[in-house]
Amino acid sequence: MPEPLLEALGIVQAFGNFRAVDGADLTVHPGEIVGLIGPNGAGKSTFFNALAGDRIPTAGSIRFEGRDVTRATPEEHCRLGIARSFQVPVTFEDMTVAENVLVGAFLRHPHRDAAAAKVRELLEFTGLAPLAEAPARSLGTPGRKRLEICRALATEPRLLLLDEALAGLTPTEIRSAIELVRRIHSRGITLIIVEHIMEVILTLAHRAVVFNQGRVIAAGAPRQVVDDPKVIEAYLGRSLQRKRPR
Amino acid sequence: MKRTVAGLVILLLVLLLPLAVQNEFYQRIGALVLLAAISASAWNLIGGYAGQVSVGHAVYFGMGAYSALLVYTRLGWPPIAGAPLGVAVSLLLAALIGTPTFRLRGHYFSMATIAAAELIRILVSNWELLGAAVGLMGPAMPRSVADLSFTTPLPYYYLFAGVLAVLLGLTWWMQRSRMGYWLRAINGGDRAARSLGVPVLRYKLYALLLSAGFTALAGTLYAVMIGFADPESVLGILVSVKMLIMAALGGAGTLFGPLLGAAILVPLEEATNAIFGGSGTGITYVIYGAIILLIARFQPEGLLALPARLRAWRGRRRARAADAARPLPSATAAPDAENA
Repeated sequence: MPEPLLEALGIVQAFGNFRAVDGADLTVHPGEIVGLIGPNGAGKSTFFNALAGDRIPTAGSIRFEGRDVTRATPEEHCRLGIARSFQVPVTFEDMTVAENVLVGAFLRHPHRDAAAAKVRELLEFTGLAPLAEAPARSLGTPGRKRLEICRALATEPRLLLLDEALAGLTPTEIRSAIELVRRIHSRGITLIIVEHIMEVILTLAHRAVVFNQGRVIAAGAPRQVVDDPKVIEAYLGRSLQRKRPR
Repeated sequence: MKRTVAGLVILLLVLLLPLAVQNEFYQRIGALVLLAAISASAWNLIGGYAGQVSVGHAVYFGMGAYSALLVYTRLGWPPIAGAPLGVAVSLLLAALIGTPTFRLRGHYFSMATIAAAELIRILVSNWELLGAAVGLMGPAMPRSVADLSFTTPLPYYYLFAGVLAVLLGLTWWMQRSRMGYWLRAINGGDRAARSLGVPVLRYKLYALLLSAGFTALAGTLYAVMIGFADPESVLGILVSVKMLIMAALGGAGTLFGPLLGAAILVPLEEATNAIFGGSGTGITYVIYGAIILLIARFQPEGLLALPARLRAWRGRRRARAADAARPLPSATAAPDAENA
């Protein structure tokens, strides 16, 4: 087994007495696509935000490429090579699509020309090139989600965290987004994706990690995980037969 | 390219206008417009580009003005020699005020800057060294050319134009560089900016320092021309509000927006003063209030964005007209599939 890219151990995220994440572990190896799934309120997004440095976990530790990043700020995470998208896209509304991406590209390329070249390459790569000069606010949800991914890629990450990047898309849009994620992966970028849509996890993820009530209840190959009785129970509840008094 | 040409045209206009207008009253207003444009453009760096709406910039303006008159009254130096002192004190205060307040967002940041500015104003009002509530005076008669005390407004006009040109040149360069984009990203949203590796607090502080330095310089120039400063005239909240309104009226976060705002508001203020005299000072507040309301309600992006908005509006109307001309109304709006 190679050295893990990301290693999160015993992550706890408490809000008052409520533990949204309650001792979750996750190890991600270079080149993997890991899917985080689980019912609503399972703590996926909270866990995800801890990985991105958005919120310092109450307890636990996170290491990226052997370096402790538990308490690092979001901007330090990005600098180290962890980029992310948001569940609800937050594009820079007053800028054009190309300018949005430029903000990200400036991180590794302080000079305008080099940054602009990077932007052109990534707009082509993500299929946003025809919209380069359009204001970001003119985009719909699929466009925004794609722009966020493009912008995150501009920071040249080694690990990309996608938070429901495919939710709210039509089936056609989902297919093209899956195709995009595959091409991102083939650039050598490791991915962690949070997704509700089982089809996405089944087709994309090498490994699925299932959250329920703040804990990891199952992990493994996506096909096996979805057949796991614990997972079915987490999604659908216990079977009626067993609930009936004997 | 079009912008470069527009910039050159404005530059030529600024340089030649006072020669065309031989009336000293108008030349003086021209000088005041440029002076106001310097502080509004300085405010624009942090308030416009970075979107951190400071309502406490009077602090830096006041430090510049007081420094000029302080080196004159205590040391007998020409007032302009107070500029480095004013800039230095302002940078220090900016770091002191900015570091804690930049952790606040939106209105809370604005309110904190008001509080800081009022605190400084009250301190100065009770400080004998700075003349307390009475204020400080500049040289009554020019002792040498270094006092920059001129009988005609033209030298001031060109002095201010020079400083404004340096500031706008710097802003133009910044706007095209990484710093400009990162400030606009901060304006667009802290959280997204940080996720892209933008060191948000550090860049807000850079922008504030640059802004405070030039605002202090504007304060010094004001004291040099007017020869007088008291807590109300250079540290009052109206000083801060004017910078904000000028920038917002013309277009906050645009290169020439503050200059346009100053070119509209300064003559307006001079006119109300001329018409209503001393009894009309309250009118200024009423007009500013009305302007704030109108900008906020109808044109938050300022007047410079108006042509683009009109073009977009005409384009939409044409598109609608084309739609209406079609034989059948086609339902093209596909509902967002929520089939997850």
